Amino acid sequence: MLPSAVARRAFLQSSGVSLGAAALSLLEQRQAAANNTASVAATPHRVHPPLPGLPHHAPKAKSVIYIHLNGGPSQIDLWDYKPGLKEYFDKDTPQSVLGTQRISTMTSGQTRFPVAPSIFRFEQAGQCGRWVSTQLLPYTSKIVDDIALVKTVHTNAINHDPASTFLMTGSEIPGKASLGSWLSYGLGSENDDLPAFVVFTPLPDIGAGQALFTRMWASGFLPTRFSGVALRGSGDPVLYLPDPEGISRADRRRMLDGLGALNSRGFERYHDPEIQTRIAQYEMAFRMQASVPDLVDTADETAETLALYGNDVTKPGSFTHSLLLARRLVERGVRTVKIMHRGWDQHGNLPKDLAAQCLDTDQATAALVLDLKRRGLLDDTLVVWGGEFGRTVFSQGTLTNDNYGRDHHPRNFCMWMAGGGVKGGVSYGETDDFSYNAVENPVHVNDLNATILHLMGIDHERFTFKFQGLDQRLTGVEQQRVVREILA
Amino acid sequence: MFVLVQGPASAVESPLRFDRDIRPLLSENCYACHGPGTQEAGLRLDSAAEAGRELSSGSRAVVAGDTVASEAIARIRSTDPDTIMPPPQAKKTLSAEQISLLERWIAEGGVYEVHWSFRPVVRPEPPTATATAAMHPVDRFIEARVAEAGLPLNGEADRGTLIRRATFALTGLPPTPAEVEAFLADPGGDAYERLVDRLLASPHHGEEMARHWLDAARYGDTHGLHFDNERHMWAYRDWVVNAFNANLPFNQFTIEQLAGDLLPNPTRDQQTATGFSRCNVTTNEGGSIDAELLFRYAVDRTATVTNTWLGLTGQCAVCHSHKFDPISHKEFYSLYAFFNSAADPGFDGNLAATKPVLALPTHDQEKKLAELDAAIPDLRKALDEAIAALSYTDPATLDPRPQPTRTETLWLDEEFPPGADVKSSAGQTRWVVGGDPGDVFTGQRSLEITAIGIGQDYYQSGAAPITIATDAEIVAHVWLDPANPPKAVMVQFHAGDWEHRAVWGDSHAINFGTPETPSRFHAGPLPAAGSWVRIAVPAAKLGLTPQTPITGIACTQFDGHARWDALGMVATDDPTTNPQRSFLAWWKERTGKDTLDDVPADLRSIVKQGPENTTKPEEVEKIRHFWLGKVWADQPADLKQASVSFETKTKAREALDKEIVRTLVFNELPTMRDSFVMLRGAYDKPGEKVTRGTPAFLPALEVAQGATPSRLDLAKWLVSAEQPLTPRVAANRLWQQLFGTGLVKTSEDFGLQGEPPSHPELLDWLAAEYRQSGWDTRRIVRLLVTSRAFRRASGVTPEHLAADPENRLLARGPRIRLDAEQIRDQALAVSGLLVPTLGGRGVRPYQPDNIWEPLALPASDTSSYRRDTGDALYRRSLYVFFKRTAPPPFMVNFDASNREQFCARRERSNTPLQALQLMNDVQHVEAARVLAERTVAAAGDDAARIDWLFRVVLARTPEPGEAVVVAQTLAGHRARYAADPEAARKVVAHGESKPKAGIPTEELAAWTLVGNMVLNLDEALTRN
Repeated sequence: MLPSAVARRAFLQSSGVSLGAAALSLLEQRQAAANNTASVAATPHRVHPPLPGLPHHAPKAKSVIYIHLNGGPSQIDLWDYKPGLKEYFDKDTPQSVLGTQRISTMTSGQTRFPVAPSIFRFEQAGQCGRWVSTQLLPYTSKIVDDIALVKTVHTNAINHDPASTFLMTGSEIPGKASLGSWLSYGLGSENDDLPAFVVFTPLPDIGAGQALFTRMWASGFLPTRFSGVALRGSGDPVLYLPDPEGISRADRRRMLDGLGALNSRGFERYHDPEIQTRIAQYEMAFRMQASVPDLVDTADETAETLALYGNDVTKPGSFTHSLLLARRLVERGVRTVKIMHRGWDQHGNLPKDLAAQCLDTDQATAALVLDLKRRGLLDDTLVVWGGEFGRTVFSQGTLTNDNYGRDHHPRNFCMWMAGGGVKGGVSYGETDDFSYNAVENPVHVNDLNATILHLMGIDHERFTFKFQGLDQRLTGVEQQRVVREILA
Repeated sequence: MFVLVQGPASAVESPLRFDRDIRPLLSENCYACHGPGTQEAGLRLDSAAEAGRELSSGSRAVVAGDTVASEAIARIRSTDPDTIMPPPQAKKTLSAEQISLLERWIAEGGVYEVHWSFRPVVRPEPPTATATAAMHPVDRFIEARVAEAGLPLNGEADRGTLIRRATFALTGLPPTPAEVEAFLADPGGDAYERLVDRLLASPHHGEEMARHWLDAARYGDTHGLHFDNERHMWAYRDWVVNAFNANLPFNQFTIEQLAGDLLPNPTRDQQTATGFSRCNVTTNEGGSIDAELLFRYAVDRTATVTNTWLGLTGQCAVCHSHKFDPISHKEFYSLYAFFNSAADPGFDGNLAATKPVLALPTHDQEKKLAELDAAIPDLRKALDEAIAALSYTDPATLDPRPQPTRTETLWLDEEFPPGADVKSSAGQTRWVVGGDPGDVFTGQRSLEITAIGIGQDYYQSGAAPITIATDAEIVAHVWLDPANPPKAVMVQFHAGDWEHRAVWGDSHAINFGTPETPSRFHAGPLPAAGSWVRIAVPAAKLGLTPQTPITGIACTQFDGHARWDALGMVATDDPTTNPQRSFLAWWKERTGKDTLDDVPADLRSIVKQGPENTTKPEEVEKIRHFWLGKVWADQPADLKQASVSFETKTKAREALDKEIVRTLVFNELPTMRDSFVMLRGAYDKPGEKVTRGTPAFLPALEVAQGATPSRLDLAKWLVSAEQPLTPRVAANRLWQQLFGTGLVKTSEDFGLQGEPPSHPELLDWLAAEYRQSGWDTRRIVRLLVTSRAFRRASGVTPEHLAADPENRLLARGPRIRLDAEQIRDQALAVSGLLVPTLGGRGVRPYQPDNIWEPLALPASDTSSYRRDTGDALYRRSLYVFFKRTAPPPFMVNFDASNREQFCARRERSNTPLQALQLMNDVQHVEAARVLAERTVAAAGDDAARIDWLFRVVLARTPEPGEAVVVAQTLAGHRARYAADPEAARKVVAHGESKPKAGIPTEELAAWTLVGNMVLNLDEALTRN
């Protein structure tokens, strides 16, 4: 540290210019950071404060962990129990049920639409007696008393790319801001050393599945600093995080001290406040170089906790590891964590592949809720689980006694939420006997987004950003409502 | 904070202006329900006539001059939630100040004005300058406004700052130290103007201009949706660069991009330009609906044109009439009708060149193509004649039927089978033509392979499939060099896969397949060296059952030198069932097959339907003709010769055709699609039918009497003399590009919800000047950068900051962070790494691992990133391959647009992720090291070197205090690396280029960190 102090003194003596008070205090702050590389020097202000006037009301949740199952998990095989379908095995789905609903062109050419009842075992679980496939979700079925199941979520799009974009940004057209970006923009972050919005893209065991797009966590029209930061499963967890080989922390510190002194002089020269911001961002980068490795180093977790999450918990890039890190992130005050798990697009071989997907995710999902709960974090952390649409009751391709596939179905699918102001042990909305139409209390994905915002203390109608001449909202221009029935 | 710039008039003495003070207020709070799109209670507040009309309630919203009689005032003043305006559910509230403004406006007569950007462009007289009448016209506007605000003007920036600012603004690159020196030493009064002229003449000027335009054009190197495969249209990108370098007038620039295909005898360039309307994202996702995709593309193209030329948010009118701007739902679809008959398909096929495309052969390619095209018909004719001269009788039709014989069929003898795409691990196949024993076994030549490790010559496609006969035995002849024998020789066959191998010699030398299975059958010991040896193995041992079609053969050896000849099979040949002897046997075997890749596309359906269902004799003859020419094993020598000659040239033509660059162009279907108003913007809810037209509030579209308006008419209309929006929008874009913020800050919205211009008269003057100059873009650019406003020092005083934090008045010079491309290009330029070649296919420089992989579909051709090597690493960022679903991080990090939608302006954020990138990205670390090498070589002592480093990066010398900071930092790094040479070695090893010899590694490492520091300076990242 000595050379920089010398440099600074020499600078002050020889330049004949005095550093302003602001610049001086920055230098001091930098020194404090230098002396304590692991954590932030006390700063009087949050680096990312909320917008003035926000939150609109007292929030129930401070953080969201959003588990996105990309591809469209089958609601009929997981949550939406339809015992009557057994009798319909391989019979045509009645025209009265199909109605005039849009069918994807992958099955619209089929000559018939044979009903494929779920082959999986369903049982009632929990105090609430929730019907659930205990065969596919043995762990999640143990936490049903903590979750609110919505059985009638519906969306506008029928294909992956537009439906995922719609779910995440409230619009099928690329270019809008994602949920996490909205939350960072409105509420800022509680943590000065980590990004406010963190994303994981774990690969499923069965292979990649459908594509993901950065637009699913991008800031769209909002400033890019509100974009989600994808923590990577392999390589550096944050892009460009480690110092290049041969450059130590002390070397970087020395370089940053020189940089800070020169930038402070630049501030004297131009008085442009952006220069002060830049100095602060370089210091945050330096702190992130310590805080991110600290985040991903799970050596301080107990064996019992690791066992709770399951086998892959120490394998970076796995779903299980991502969920453990999600808990560590909300513990550190990160606002939004999104886990984007791929491979839920079972057009064929559903029984085998869906079981593999559940094996990959079920234990860790339940563990996350339990772990948050026992640490007292579930009260102000909202956990959301779901895909971009559901799947059809009729089989796509050949239907046999033990094999079938299902096409995309946007008209009703299941999502659940837990913690953060949500009532546990409830189920909302009803579907017909074929899980093909919502017959009671349909919930649009934008209603769900409005509900998430509400729990975070935001009135979705007043939360706008002017772009292309419009007050853009996450929940679009149509009338949307908060699903109060599932709130605690 | 913003009051001085353009806030509403609050002081009583300043006169109200509807544009500035009233319209934004009405638009923001009232028009959503009482505007052009919706009229709640029958009330419209966007014109005097409408606002003053008597409503069904008997009252009138606005009674000019009478606030008491004006119902609008009563309602906004109301405290009753049932009557107050805006109503509570609108979630809009008027402040007391806004209410009194509205009152004052009504009291003063409630005068409406046409929205400022919709008025005709009338060239205003620049304000009379107090100082000198000869003053630059731009400055006459700017300085009058600054004087009005009572702000002090900064003086001209120092020359170093000036040349760096101008060079970045006009070329996107920093000036070289020599250029800086020359400029500093230039005593001429017009030194700056001459500098500007030099920069405008640089080919890099076109690159910098293009970069901005490509954001509007949403140019990318992939389709952008689902598979997100590569798309070939960099020729369009290069056209944009060339157009700016040629200073193509903006009206022509417009016409060629929107309707180049409709110009008389369009040139290659004019057709390439139409790529503008092919830049939209497209998909091939299974399950999509064609009509919906076509609808989306047409909407995107319409919205892009509406926004890029007219500055209007047309996409708002996709679902309903625009709530604020006078574009009705129907008018949007009248514009959409210009793009709704596009010839490109809904499904892009995941192809690099989704039709329509334009082939762009080079001169050389054109010549070769012409040669081949001239030769091929003759060869075809020769082949046809050879076939016609034959008398072939199908053995299957003979009576008595011929008896099966034990015969030998050679596949590889003199040649690989006709048409085979032969590949060699040595790069090229070698044939020995010989006279000496050992040279060849039979005929004129043999195949020669020399290998270290595995060597092979093989083919896997191109030739007609070979069929394994009954009881077949594979045979080949090899000669092994006694001086250098291989460890093993292996024959491999491709039949669906390559898992059919026989090896002689060390069966573990070639590690393909599984030992002791058909995928690696050990057929015997290594043949004796020094003479031709026949090797043979039953086909069944290789898993090759009778009738298996073989589509590839490989001769493989491990180490050594060997010759191969006469490879084939000995089999019980039944000429009545052998598909290479019996035409009918062949056809029957192919009947019903879907994969007939070896059969020409136009014959496949006939082949598939089989001989039983083919009744037309001419069709049978076509198939027979093909079979005789390509498949028949017993071709006489002259036919075989004709067949080989024809196949060789045809393959060459196919290969050449593949090499020719193609670019997506926009064309129209021969028959126009009908267009309809799409209800609520749904692709499947057509409402009223519409015809092509333009919005009524703008000047009329000129069309030849009775003709259907064309895209060319639309393009001409956009740049017509009466068009008020295009010149304002285009001039504003240039202003934004050079000054950082547009005169209209919302450069994407010139409608009622956009921000009014900070200098309305200046904008109109520029718009008029642009048009009257013949849309001379370079002239306007030159005009702007030669203004005093552009040249002023950019230092901020507290007074400036308080009165004009965003520098909209330009009392100080523009100070803006460099764009993503400029930051990377600067690092390359100052280090000397930059390869300034213009144009071509997108390059793939350094990119961290796993940017594409975790997101992409595995089957996508952009699912895994393989970076280029050599020069491609150091090309300008304009040429970096842009995958739209996972763009290059160096671009995203610094606010580049994602190129999914048109983008009129970028953010300029300031984040820790940017710091991490510039400190640690290998591209920047390598650049810092190469910069360090140049620095050390530039001068003999530290002080001079620090001086040089500042000059090359910042175009100025360091202050003494700064030099001390750098020197001290350098000393620290030196001490550290002297103590740890291993770390030093690592520091200088980053990147593909090798460190220069002659500089001690520890010294170079220390300077590398200093270079890294200077490249990270705020001043380095900023156009000061």
